[in-house]
Amino acid sequence: MAVAGLMYFGPDLSGIFYIDFTTWVFVIMVASVHFLSVTYATKYFHGTDLGIRENTFYLLMSLFTTSMFFSLEINNFGLMWVGIEATTISSSLLLIAEKTETSLEATWRYLVLVSAGVTFAFLSIILIFYSLGTLDVSSIISHGPEASPVLALAVTIALMGFGTKVGIFPVHTWLPDAHSESPAPVSAMFSGVLLPTALYVLYRVYEIDPLTPLYLWAGVVSIAAASIFLGYQTRYKRMFAYSTMENMNLALIGFAIGGTAGITGALLLLISHSFAKAGAFYTSGSIFKASGLKKISEIKGLWKSMPASSASLLMSSLAVTGAPPFGTFFGEFLIFYGLLSMHYYFPLAIIAFFLVTAFIAVNHNVSGMLFDGESSYSEPGKVMPFLGILSSAIPVLIGLVFVVVYLETL
Amino acid sequence: MNALIEVLIYPISSFILISAFYLQAQEFVRSMVIGQMIQSALLGFLSFVIGFAESDYDFFILGVLIVVLRAFLVTYMLERRVPREKIHLHEKKVDVAFTFLVNLILVVTAVFLIYFLIFRSIHLVPDIGSSTIFIFPLTLFFQGLFLIASRKTTFAQIIGYVEEENALVLFAMFLLPIPLIIEASVFLDVLALVVVSSIVVIEKFAHEKMEDLVGLSHRHFLRCLSFSFRLRRTLPIASRESPLLLWAGD
Repeated sequence: MAVAGLMYFGPDLSGIFYIDFTTWVFVIMVASVHFLSVTYATKYFHGTDLGIRENTFYLLMSLFTTSMFFSLEINNFGLMWVGIEATTISSSLLLIAEKTETSLEATWRYLVLVSAGVTFAFLSIILIFYSLGTLDVSSIISHGPEASPVLALAVTIALMGFGTKVGIFPVHTWLPDAHSESPAPVSAMFSGVLLPTALYVLYRVYEIDPLTPLYLWAGVVSIAAASIFLGYQTRYKRMFAYSTMENMNLALIGFAIGGTAGITGALLLLISHSFAKAGAFYTSGSIFKASGLKKISEIKGLWKSMPASSASLLMSSLAVTGAPPFGTFFGEFLIFYGLLSMHYYFPLAIIAFFLVTAFIAVNHNVSGMLFDGESSYSEPGKVMPFLGILSSAIPVLIGLVFVVVYLETL
Repeated sequence: MNALIEVLIYPISSFILISAFYLQAQEFVRSMVIGQMIQSALLGFLSFVIGFAESDYDFFILGVLIVVLRAFLVTYMLERRVPREKIHLHEKKVDVAFTFLVNLILVVTAVFLIYFLIFRSIHLVPDIGSSTIFIFPLTLFFQGLFLIASRKTTFAQIIGYVEEENALVLFAMFLLPIPLIIEASVFLDVLALVVVSSIVVIEKFAHEKMEDLVGLSHRHFLRCLSFSFRLRRTLPIASRESPLLLWAGD
């Protein structure tokens, strides 16, 4: 945060770091969700027998966050790749903190699939260096977009390579496993900030030679796939994982179409989503802590037994599906406006259809968990539900601030 | 110069590929670890040869890095984790002859398609030769991917990943070596990943499908495709073991 602040507001030190307004938004996201997750973890792991020492857990969380900051702020595409790979290394041991058989398998899938995919992205880094003779982000971006067959190949390979970590179909398969089997604070970090960090790196590569139709359609197909998979999930954390995939791809579309509407929409969507999804996973953690159950059909009547967690689950599920007045709604609205203004009517219709499908699926499942039947669970303390509500309420604030700022500019 | 290339670079690259096919044909974990060591050592040697041919000291440093970090340290990390129990020493349930045949068909098809469609037009540093040399890193890359996909033991998958990384180093050597600081960071990253993976090896030797990591059944998926959206319904567990499910990725 300090480096980003110094870089953004202070003197120009662009030799080592590259920080513009977009980077600054991502840095705020990472720092905030890290703070919330670490606070949540202190209560979540209280009295739990961990597979790793608690001190090691917090050390790894810090390393994980540092590697994300490194990827966001470094002024070199090669080192950005190193940072992204470092996030895999530092986060994989966090995933097995609870050391269950399924979490071990999910960790291994995460390690192998993401590493193999991101290795593919290194090919695009080599091609960028071959084409431009430099890997400096600042000099490449200030030079402006450049079209050549080799650069087009590099940007295409990056979509599949970094796309593995962003959750682009069909290289997304690690995502639901890792999200569902990791402890709640780690799931929040994965969903809220790790995927956006990978998306940021992908966006920087995309800027070199913007292949708008390719990125747009990759996003559209991924949203369709995520919405289909999402509706048929039987476990609530897996359902939220697919919702993350859907939101990341919508943000990818925002970046791909570019312009004020596209970029602002993507940033607004990402920052609101990071808090909303962190709230959803914190609440999932509270529910799991109270019930020990993972399946949607097994959770009933939360509204009466766990009112605070119910409120945060309802708010977060509405937020991640883009309901007003959450910031995600305005983000999606701007991306839709961008698509309309660029006459992408057909992709827009497909996206709208699948977003509605996802909205119905998530909120139908959540309403079943909240209002059907009865249960005798109790809230796991005060801090965990409070953090869930706080994280879910921040997207409302973001939405309202956006409306006020928008109305003032009219 | 051309004589040196013909005498050394092409044969060493061929030996690297032979080591990759050797790894694919192996069932024994220890042999795979040794095979990986030989492959990395050959890559290091190739770096020295190109360094000599190009009179570029960066290649010598790169060669030292490859030998120390990959051929020695990665092998040491993996070797330490090879289980002593006899039952674990070789990978069961793998039809080596069949997977080798499938591997050959897929890799050869993929490499020739990608080479002729994309890489044929890329021009190289003049001393290295023609773009046909790209066939070596491309084959090694797909070979690494196939090793990961075709095996179920943690060891084989780690070695597949290292092979993939070796392919990228080879690719960069032939195309245009990227700055050493980045190359060194990449090597350290891979080493750290192997260390983390070796921790997983202790807990989990092989990987199978798990019910908890399956979100939906193929019948659900087919219903979905036919737009009959019926939420929150489950099917018998047996129906979740479908090839379509594997394709669907969940």
